[in-house]
Amino acid sequence: MKTIRFFAVMMTVVALMAGCGNNAKQGSKSPTKGKLIGISFQHMNNPFFVELAEGARKVVEAHGDTLVVLDAQSSSLKQKNDLSDLIMQKPAAVMINPVNWEGIKGTLIEAKRANVPVIVVDAPVKDQSLVTCTVASDNVKAGELIAEELARTTRPAKIVVLALSINKACIDRVEGFKKVIAKYPDMKIIDQQECKGTIESSRPVMRDLIGRYPDINVVFAINDPSALGCISALESAGKLKNVKIVAVDGAKEAVAAIRKGKMLATSAQFPKEIGRIAAEKIYESLAGKTIEKDIKVRVELVTINNIEKFAK
Amino acid sequence: MKKHSWKASPALRKIGPLIIAMAALEVMFGIFAPGFSQMNNQIDLLQQISVNAIIAFGMTFTIMIGGIDLSVGAVMALVGTAAASILASCDPSMASSVKLILAVGGGMSIAALFGLFNGIPASKTKMPAFVITLATMLVARGTAYRFNEAQPIPIPDNAATFLALGNARLFGFIPVPVLVMLAVFAFATILLHRTRFGQHIYAIGGNREAAKFTGVNIVRTQVWVYLLCAVMAGIAGMINTSQLYSAEPASGQGFELNAIAAAVVGGTSFTGGIGTMYGTLIGAVIIGILDKGLNMAGVHFSLQYIVKGLVILLAVYMDVRRNKS
Repeated sequence: MKTIRFFAVMMTVVALMAGCGNNAKQGSKSPTKGKLIGISFQHMNNPFFVELAEGARKVVEAHGDTLVVLDAQSSSLKQKNDLSDLIMQKPAAVMINPVNWEGIKGTLIEAKRANVPVIVVDAPVKDQSLVTCTVASDNVKAGELIAEELARTTRPAKIVVLALSINKACIDRVEGFKKVIAKYPDMKIIDQQECKGTIESSRPVMRDLIGRYPDINVVFAINDPSALGCISALESAGKLKNVKIVAVDGAKEAVAAIRKGKMLATSAQFPKEIGRIAAEKIYESLAGKTIEKDIKVRVELVTINNIEKFAK
Repeated sequence: MKKHSWKASPALRKIGPLIIAMAALEVMFGIFAPGFSQMNNQIDLLQQISVNAIIAFGMTFTIMIGGIDLSVGAVMALVGTAAASILASCDPSMASSVKLILAVGGGMSIAALFGLFNGIPASKTKMPAFVITLATMLVARGTAYRFNEAQPIPIPDNAATFLALGNARLFGFIPVPVLVMLAVFAFATILLHRTRFGQHIYAIGGNREAAKFTGVNIVRTQVWVYLLCAVMAGIAGMINTSQLYSAEPASGQGFELNAIAAAVVGGTSFTGGIGTMYGTLIGAVIIGILDKGLNMAGVHFSLQYIVKGLVILLAVYMDVRRNKS
């Protein structure tokens, strides 16, 4: 008897929670109350993705439709399963921010088979022919902007790069950065290491680099979270004063760090704009318009001189 | 309801409530999640759980003897990565089935090696399995990262047979991973419930000293258990790699925990000696239903974790009560 009572409790808990989620969306998944649109992120550990989702949600809800946000927790298999759940429900379209730009292929094939248009956001996929379009920051430009800022302010330079080479967007940033640096003989990249693009992962990498190269004076971190990790490592080694840090993102914390003089510059991305444009492209494609395959969203340099514009 | 009204065998008595829970969840999501009950969605459910279930079958063996294997996720990634590198270095003109045999054979040998790497110290020394497999997890993960500078390795398009392993469907209907899962399930069930080896596992998990005195070869049985667990993780790694069209050295993180969850929800006792393969299969299905159902009901991902956590806790609590009475 008790066993059965416990099952009853368990079922109620699940039912309540499932119910909550469903009610919150007003059961809007029935075809009469708007279309279902999904967005799957590689992880939700970066405010960037939260803002991107917000940008998309505004557009989708303005059309009276529903946006479902999925978190792949950096697992390609979870992303595949999440999206296959979504595709079973015949969504009008899905937006994907891939964990693995090659591993997403199975999902893209599945979506194509089910006639669900795919818009890729933030980081591209390898099989461009399987997607409607890709909306992402101009990542090459983002790398160029901070390199040019360094060329203006910090020469000669001994530079280390903290990269994230599993991600195409990050590969592009490094490429843009290196292209500009190569023009200046007194600026040298002395080492490049991998980090995971988070505070926790970049901190120990930076600590090792300080030990190995006591005379570095520039760090290019692949995004703002890894820059914050570098700041923390340099601060605790008492070396922050001698080192200029540049990154890409334009996150609130990075803007604050620039204001305090702990960071030189960051190339701001506009995640809300990426989300908005991606969602708009869905509706354009549903209306039968032809969509440009590769849409680049602007990036802007943030330094101490124009910081007010980016204070959030 | 009194105890004696259960006329069924102990095994059935044990999984009866699990089947009820599974059915209840099916009905509930059938109502709350549009499209959940459709046939193709149910088949998709089986496909989604296949990787976790196969790892969980192996994990059940280790938990049954009072051990654990934390290295499965990393071994899975390593096996996949090794198989993909073999495929990538094969001569393109080679027959696709030959490539499959080479890749699977190579990958599986590595899995077996790690099984021994876990099993021999676990059975011959006093080191706890938790610590041994924690260490081998790092070794396996590191070895996987050695390939291709830790970046994903794509499976070449000409390795059609290998890609079929994760993506093809028998008669265009039943996914191959589901068939593999059922085959591994049948094998594991027979081994645990119908052979002397299985009896030895129950005996070791129930009371190691007593098992020793009744003449069970404890060392050999334990080594075999860890070997089986690693090989099953290897099979899961092949399917995962094939499904993702690429091998990721970083994949499989946390998969050991999902597998443990499936085994535990299915009634496997952490102290050893208690558990069934059917229970683990149903445990994997229940977790799969939760993942899929909550997704399809549009539940926010933050709530999904909470619900899953509570369900695991409740399942284990009920299990502890049942075993006590």
